[in-house]
Parts: sequence; C-alpha cells; structure tokens
Amino acid sequence: MNVIRQALVLVGKDMLLEWRGRSRFISVLLFGVVTLLLFSFAVGPDSVALRAAAAGFLVLALLLSSTLSLSESFRLEQEERALEGLVLLPVDPVALFYGKAIGNTLFLLLLAPIFTPVALVLYSVELGAMKILTLVGLWALAAAGLSAPGTLYAAMTSRLRSQDVLLPLLLFPLVVPVLMGSVKAMALVLGGDPLEQLRSWTVLLGGFAVIYWSLCGLLFPYAIEEGG
Amino acid sequence: MTRRIFGVRTLGLLGLGLLLVGSYFGLFVAPAERYMGQVQRIMYVHVPCAWIAMVCYTAAFVFAVIGLWNGKPRWDARTTGAIEVGAVLNALLLVQGSIWARATWGVWWDWDVRLTTSLVMLLLFAGVLALRSFVDDSDRRATWTAVATIVAFVDVPLVYFCVRWWRSLHQTQSTPETVSPAMVLPLRLNAIAILLIAIWLIAQRAKLERERLRKEQVDEPARVTAGLEVTDA
Amino acid sequence: MVLAGSNGSGKTTLLRIAAGLYKPSRGKIEVYGLDPQRERLECRRALSMISHQAYLYDRLTAIETLRIWARLLDRPSADSDLMPLLASVGLERRPRLQVAGFSAGMRKRLTLLRTRLEQPRLLLLDEPFSALDVEGKRQVEDWIRDAREAGAAVIMASHAILRVSRLCDRAVLLERGQIVWRGDGEGLARRLGEQA
Repeated sequence: MNVIRQALVLVGKDMLLEWRGRSRFISVLLFGVVTLLLFSFAVGPDSVALRAAAAGFLVLALLLSSTLSLSESFRLEQEERALEGLVLLPVDPVALFYGKAIGNTLFLLLLAPIFTPVALVLYSVELGAMKILTLVGLWALAAAGLSAPGTLYAAMTSRLRSQDVLLPLLLFPLVVPVLMGSVKAMALVLGGDPLEQLRSWTVLLGGFAVIYWSLCGLLFPYAIEEGG
Repeated sequence: MTRRIFGVRTLGLLGLGLLLVGSYFGLFVAPAERYMGQVQRIMYVHVPCAWIAMVCYTAAFVFAVIGLWNGKPRWDARTTGAIEVGAVLNALLLVQGSIWARATWGVWWDWDVRLTTSLVMLLLFAGVLALRSFVDDSDRRATWTAVATIVAFVDVPLVYFCVRWWRSLHQTQSTPETVSPAMVLPLRLNAIAILLIAIWLIAQRAKLERERLRKEQVDEPARVTAGLEVTDA
Repeated sequence: MVLAGSNGSGKTTLLRIAAGLYKPSRGKIEVYGLDPQRERLECRRALSMISHQAYLYDRLTAIETLRIWARLLDRPSADSDLMPLLASVGLERRPRLQVAGFSAGMRKRLTLLRTRLEQPRLLLLDEPFSALDVEGKRQVEDWIRDAREAGAAVIMASHAILRVSRLCDRAVLLERGQIVWRGDGEGLARRLGEQA
C-alpha cells in the first residue's frame, strides 16, 4: 500500500537523521533526568512521599521531554523547507503524519530505558522484571497518546513565531487523559493493584491513542497545506 | 444584512428580559433549598451557564467541521464567535462553582468532576484562541482554528470520563441533581435566556470578525491573472 | 515557456499556484484538467517543481537523499540504479559527504536529480540557472532540451533572458501580476534589449 510504504520510508529517514544528530537525543535524555531530580528536590528526601509520587514524576518527565522532541521533529523540516519538498514529490500527507508520529513515538520510547531505572532508584521503588515490562508497555501507550496530537500541533506551531510556548499550551490540556491514565496505571504497577483497576486505565489509554491517531491523521493534511 | 442583525438583536433583548424574569423567580419566588439555604440560588445561573457553554462549544465544533468542508470564511467567523462566548460562559461557571463550593464545603476548589472538566475545557479552548492570535494569514488561521477546535472538542468527553474515574477512587461529593418542580421553571427560563443572549453575542462577534477580515484583504498584494495555456511541447 | 518580469511581478506566485502551494484568491487554474487545490496528489504526480529552496536535509549524503526520494516515488532505489544518476551531474566522487558540506552549485545539481526521478509531464522551474557555474548552466540547458524531447512541458521563470530565449518557444512578460506582453523567446530578448 502506497501510504504505508511512504510512511515507513519517512520513519527510516527520521531515524537516520536522529542518529546523525544524536547529541540532541542525549540532550533530551539529560533534560529528563534533571527534571526527575528536581522533582525529588521539590518533595524532599522523604522516601515514602517520593515512592507515592514516583509514577506521577515519571510521566511528567516524559511529558516535558516530549515537548522538546516534538517541536524539534518539525524544525528539521523547516530548515530548507524540506517539508514542502516532500509534499511536492508527492508524498501523501497522511503518510507524512503517520511517519512523523511513529518516529516521535519511537523517540519517546527510547527514553524509557533510562528514565525508568533513574526514577526507580531515586524514588526507592523495587520492581520485578515482569512489572518493569508492564511499565514499559504503559510507557509505549503514553508515548503513542502524546505523539499523535503532538505531531499535529508541532506541524502547525513550527510555522509560527512563539512555537515554544504554543505547543505546550495547546498540548498539555489536551493530553490530560493520557497524563491521568498513565500515572494511575503506573502507580498501580508500582504500588500494587488490589482492586484490579489496571485494565480499565489501560483501556482508556489505548482508546485515547486509537481515537487521536485516527482523528489527527484525518486532520493533518489541513495542518500543512495552504498559504506560503 | 441589517434586517438579520435586527432580528438577532430582538432575540438578545428577549433574552435579557427573560433573564430578569427567570432571576426574579429564582431569587424570590422559588423555595429555599432544604440544606443549603439561600446560597443554593446561585444554581439558577450556574446550571444554565454550564448548559449553554456546552451548547456554544458544540456549535463551534459543528461550525468548524462545516468550515473545513467548504472553506467559506463566514464559518471561521462563527466558530470564533462560538468559542469566545462559550469561553466566557465557561469562565463564569467556574467562578460560580467555586463560590458555591466555598459556601457549601468551605473550600474554593474541591475537584468536583464537572468543575474540573470545565477547567480543562476552558484551557483547551483558550488555547485555540491563543493559536489564532499568532497566525497572520487568514486562510491558514481559519483552517487551523477549525482543526484545533475539532481536536479540542473530541477531548472533552475523554477528559470527563477520565476525571470521573480518577475521582471515583475518593469521595463523591458533587452538585445535587434532584430539583423540585418549583425550581425547574426559573432554571429553564434562565437557560433559554442565556441561550438567546449567547446567540446574539455570537452573531455580533461573527459579524465583527468578517469585517476585520474584509479590511485585511483589501491590503493584500496584487494577484496573478493568468490567461496562459500551456500544452505539451 | 518562459515567465519574465522584475522581482515581485508574480512569476514565482504563478508557479506556486500551479503546484497547489498557494490558493488563488480569484479565478481558476487547471493543470492537465486537474485542479491543483482539489486534486493535489494527482496534480503533483504529473509535475515537478524546482525553486529557490533546495528541499534537502543537511545530514544526509547525496546517495541517501536520492535513495529516499526514489523509495518515496516507488522507483528503483538500488545503488546500481542511483550511482549513474549521481555520476551524470558529477556528484559521485565524495560518497560520504553530507549535504551540509555541499556548495550551492552541488545542492542545485542534486535537486535537479529529483526531477529526473519524478519523470514529470510538466516542469515548473523557478530560476533554474541560479547558483551554477558555466558548466552547470550548460548542463541545465541540455537537460531542459532533453525533457522537452521526452515530451514534457516546461514553464520557467528566469532572469537569464539571453540563455532562455534560445530555449523557449513562448515567452510571457509579467508586471505586478498581469501579463503585459506575449511572444516568443527571440521577441523577448529583443524587447528587453530595447528597454535596457
């Protein structure tokens, strides 16, 4: 299928460019680790309080890092108007969206192997291997939920002057369900799930991702055409 | 055109009148609620504000979809009007809800499900308005407003369910649902009143937006007229 | 056909409207019977545009860039298919060099290869001779002739009147968005020579 093939080629292109510019990935990684540290300073060396808030801090670190990576994902396209070049080839705008969104999700997913251990250590949480895997799965769902509307908004705001303020302003209220869902779900993994609620939160996260991956794919062509 | 605005203004005046009547009933005629006393009367504006805010946002969503579909600028003007009026009502209802919570529970904010959802809603749509102010090109502004409105509106039910589950783990205090028959009349009167005022305000705002657009386009640079025909060499 | 005219006369605007990048505020445009706004993808499959921007990624090499374009266009993308293309414009010698290290002329030549891959029916060229040395300009001339021979139509906006007048059947002079003169390539050179 044409659209799928084009999307995968674009993911490959973005991954190659990310690898070439990997100092940026490392910077975002360090940024996330610093925020995790700052959160613990804000609460104080109270391991009970830290453990209770661990899931929240982890998700917030993900959210803050995502604004950096999302805005960056379109800055590259702006440099030589490369996006316009792609669109003229022609690349189906839908393929462009899914290519970018998948790329953004993978980028955020790659942060998990570093953020998670750091958080577990800083906030004194002990976890078995099975639970860590569940955590990574939840991380993937959260990353997917953030990336779909994030890619759409990043495409729009990358053409504007105050991109760095507009992107979070638009994205943060929108992803409240992702924030709540992933914090709740991760907290259940970290602290135990006596009432078996994990499934419903996972369904919420999955539902959000499905809805927004479809909706934003439909709307993306409108976000990148028109005007100069 | 003037006749249409005159018609809408009548609606606005009617709305104001109804608001006075409804408020009279609500403030003086309807019985005081059993447990909360006089403070409960704030419901007579709070509930209609909430209903009509949702109506405004829903209208904005519909206008946005139509606007994306046919690209005529008047739909962007209507979308903007609907969002702004909805946002004002939204802000009002947050203040009213906060006052009610203070009077009833003693706290200014108690994470009530509907109030929390309203706060997120206000931030969502305020963001759309903020986005507008940064886009200079009118076509792009219209398209992006519509896109952002659709995305924001779809989020509202998701946020509501999310907050509800989140809250259900703790206590469930919220605004009372049961209303006695004597209370229904002022509620409905005020709801219709606010709806009429909202329609009037949206129409005014839309007209203002279209005039601003017209002024913008007069200043646009020369366009290309082509009578060119190119065939394969 | 060449579009001539001073800066701001509307040459670039017209080309971009034909490519569906700008929306015309009045009037209609048809490219092979298609509306560039409504039938964007089909329209763009038929045409190829070269403009001031190179549409390149700084951190990719020439062969990687070509490979991505070829894959997106569903054309053969093996090295054996792409290397001859690079060789034809003299870019095959430094295979590991990223675009960031290219000169302006090299970037232009790589961008021209994109249209080779696209094999369009209509070429929209915005100042195709800029940033090239004499050899490069000659190559572009040859390439435009080849394209015409292959049956493509070419609309070119250019300031290089003398060079262009040799190449083009028809010429149009634009001023502030209006056509003020039509003719052929020689007529254009004469008219602008008279005005100089």
